[in-house]
Amino acid sequence: MSTEQILSSDGLPLEVSLRKAERKNKLKALFLVGPLFLFLLITYVFPIGDMLFRSVDDRMITSKLPNTFAALEKWDGKELPDEAIYEAFYKDFYPLAISKESGKLYQRLNYEKSGFSSGLKKTNRKIKKFEKSNYKEQFMETHKIWRNVDYWVALKNTAPKWSYVKYLKGVDLKLDPERNIIQQDEDRRIHKILWLRTLKVAFWVTIFCFMLAYPISYLLATLPMKYSNLLMICVLLPFWTSLLVRTSSWMVLLQQQGPINDLIVWLGLAANDNRPELMYNVIGTFVAMTQILLPFMVLPLYSVMKTISPSLMRAGKSLGGTPFVAFRKIYFPLTVPGIGAGSLLVFILAIGYYITPALVGGASGSLISNTIAYHMKSSLDWSFAAALGTMLLVGVLTIYWIYNKLVGIDNIKLG
Amino acid sequence: MKKLSKLLLALSFVLSITTSAFAVTVVSWGGAYTESQKLGYGDPTAAKLGIAVNWVDYTGGLSEIKAQKEAGKITWDIIDVYAKDTIIGCDEGIFVEFDFDKDFAPAPDGTPASEDYFTSMPSKCAVGNILYSWNFAYNHDNAVFAKKQPKTMKDFFNTKKFPGKRSIYKGAMSNIEFAQAALGTKAGKGGSKIYDKLAADGGVDKAIAKIKKLCDDPKGGCVFWNAGAQPPELLANGEVIMATGWNGRFFNAQMEGTPITQVWDTQILDYEYFAMVKGGPNDANGKAMKVLREMTSTEGLAGSAKYIAYAPWRKSSIAIIDAGEPWYKDGKTSMVQHMPTAPANTKSYALMNPEFWADNQDEIGEKWEAMKAGL
Repeated sequence: MSTEQILSSDGLPLEVSLRKAERKNKLKALFLVGPLFLFLLITYVFPIGDMLFRSVDDRMITSKLPNTFAALEKWDGKELPDEAIYEAFYKDFYPLAISKESGKLYQRLNYEKSGFSSGLKKTNRKIKKFEKSNYKEQFMETHKIWRNVDYWVALKNTAPKWSYVKYLKGVDLKLDPERNIIQQDEDRRIHKILWLRTLKVAFWVTIFCFMLAYPISYLLATLPMKYSNLLMICVLLPFWTSLLVRTSSWMVLLQQQGPINDLIVWLGLAANDNRPELMYNVIGTFVAMTQILLPFMVLPLYSVMKTISPSLMRAGKSLGGTPFVAFRKIYFPLTVPGIGAGSLLVFILAIGYYITPALVGGASGSLISNTIAYHMKSSLDWSFAAALGTMLLVGVLTIYWIYNKLVGIDNIKLG
Repeated sequence: MKKLSKLLLALSFVLSITTSAFAVTVVSWGGAYTESQKLGYGDPTAAKLGIAVNWVDYTGGLSEIKAQKEAGKITWDIIDVYAKDTIIGCDEGIFVEFDFDKDFAPAPDGTPASEDYFTSMPSKCAVGNILYSWNFAYNHDNAVFAKKQPKTMKDFFNTKKFPGKRSIYKGAMSNIEFAQAALGTKAGKGGSKIYDKLAADGGVDKAIAKIKKLCDDPKGGCVFWNAGAQPPELLANGEVIMATGWNGRFFNAQMEGTPITQVWDTQILDYEYFAMVKGGPNDANGKAMKVLREMTSTEGLAGSAKYIAYAPWRKSSIAIIDAGEPWYKDGKTSMVQHMPTAPANTKSYALMNPEFWADNQDEIGEKWEAMKAGL
């Protein structure tokens, strides 16, 4: 049985012609999306991926000291290693010293334990004159790090090519010689404090933003156009002002001899010689950050409230509800998508904030992002910065996931 | 993977290259400081050699140049850096190692460059630029200082004698040295004893405990500063009674009429250096080296002191300033007495020890932050 093929006007079977047309459309779509996709890939996905990859990549040192790590494998880490291990280290380090390639080791090992940098540098100078026997003795004479078993333990801990040690360090844990996970020394446990403080600041700033933004947004959404436009400009004006300018203005306002304190004294709420401290503590951080992040809460709330018909509240009241009940049962649930969007925005922005708390927060103004910046810029320990960054990213994604489970992400509404 | 990522990073940096690719790019800290460098030796050098010099601001640290290097497209030639950064940059192979006496001009009397400088360099990749000082200052209009004034570092920590808040640097650097001096270690000339004590077992802990005591004291208390402009401001508006800071900033504030007095006991002399980027755009053609040689010459370094109270590194530059007093740009202020190296100011001082900090900065940093977190 032969069915008659339907032909299009140019003589091709319809099926083929249709596929051709569809392919063309698909290609067009791809060309439209392509540039953005490529742009994101080049400027966003790839650099970030490359950066995060550094947190586990420890191949540099493994490749530079192969003999040492092979020799250290059986060493138990209790007493100083024997002659063979010192000799293996000599075999690795000597060529590096001659070809001036040992520099990268100094910093890498100094992250592991303070003191490696100067110890290795001195060894680098002296090793060229070493005699070809009795390596242990010669190393021990060169620098005190070679007389200290802790440094050998630290060295052994860098042996694996791929390492999760930086992640442990991010939560104040470390490895002991037997590679068990133990707590960091007590006076160096700093990261847990910073994580908790970061979460606390972000949480409270979100709450404060919500409390302030809700009535403002309501006003914006219900006022007649000519007033609400003016109010909208008041909300947006700070939004267009540089972050640093706004933070500095808060510093002027909040300082002990500043206008707000003058007002408090003038009102008789505090004595002149006992002015309250509004800055360089947690109060300053909350005030400045709340003001700076407020628009991110107002805008989504406003756009959601704008869509709620006023007749809904009237209907609620005409059915016998008090204004409060009508608000609670009708209005508030309708604004939840806006609250969700605003809170998520503010919280995620706040969690990565650091300039404002650093300037007005005083001793308590150091957050986890300040530590990341320190390791990026100052200590150049990029792998640790990458590890902390990954942890922050995973944290934010977790919050997003929890939010999705509780509220549902399709409930979010930005406008 | 590695090649592709390099290529992509390179692409993004290619976009940042401007038409000034042929000028020698010098990177520094901006503000009044870069201004003093540009007017003091940047412009004269450019005029003399006929090589354009382009100034770029940054906020310190080696992250940008490391990123440029990894991307394989370097746009900076010369960077103004801290001592510890020259050490790290040298180890990481970012900077050029100098052949000091060959690369840098001798003094006018023929003294080789290495002997004309006050001290030796922290690494082979560094050439000195200015000396500045970490010292402290107080607002002499404050009633606390009506009868007696602070004279020593111990006074800075004495809250019975001088009750009121202090402002100190947000990091451990400078603070633990000051604390060690307040614990009774004399700095003398050079301060090596201070670093010996700090390097000993538990030394840093004791110094940090001393700071904690000052900050916890209800009669004391600490405000941490992080920008150089803050200490004079905090003193001027009465937020604190005493503050540690950089002498050039205190000097500029004094010139503007702020009622503050500087105390030079146990000042910490610190340095700024130039380092030259290996493989920079003007490395191979030698232009960067020519510019650097000219800027760090005797006249070059003396030039910047016209605009800011930081001391030039070269002894021979001081002679030029001395002969040309009043040297400050206003035409009536003598500069030498305001410099950290003036004899009246160097009765007791410590030289910042970059090796100590390169070794210990991370460990001390963690202990310091842990202390601050417990305040």
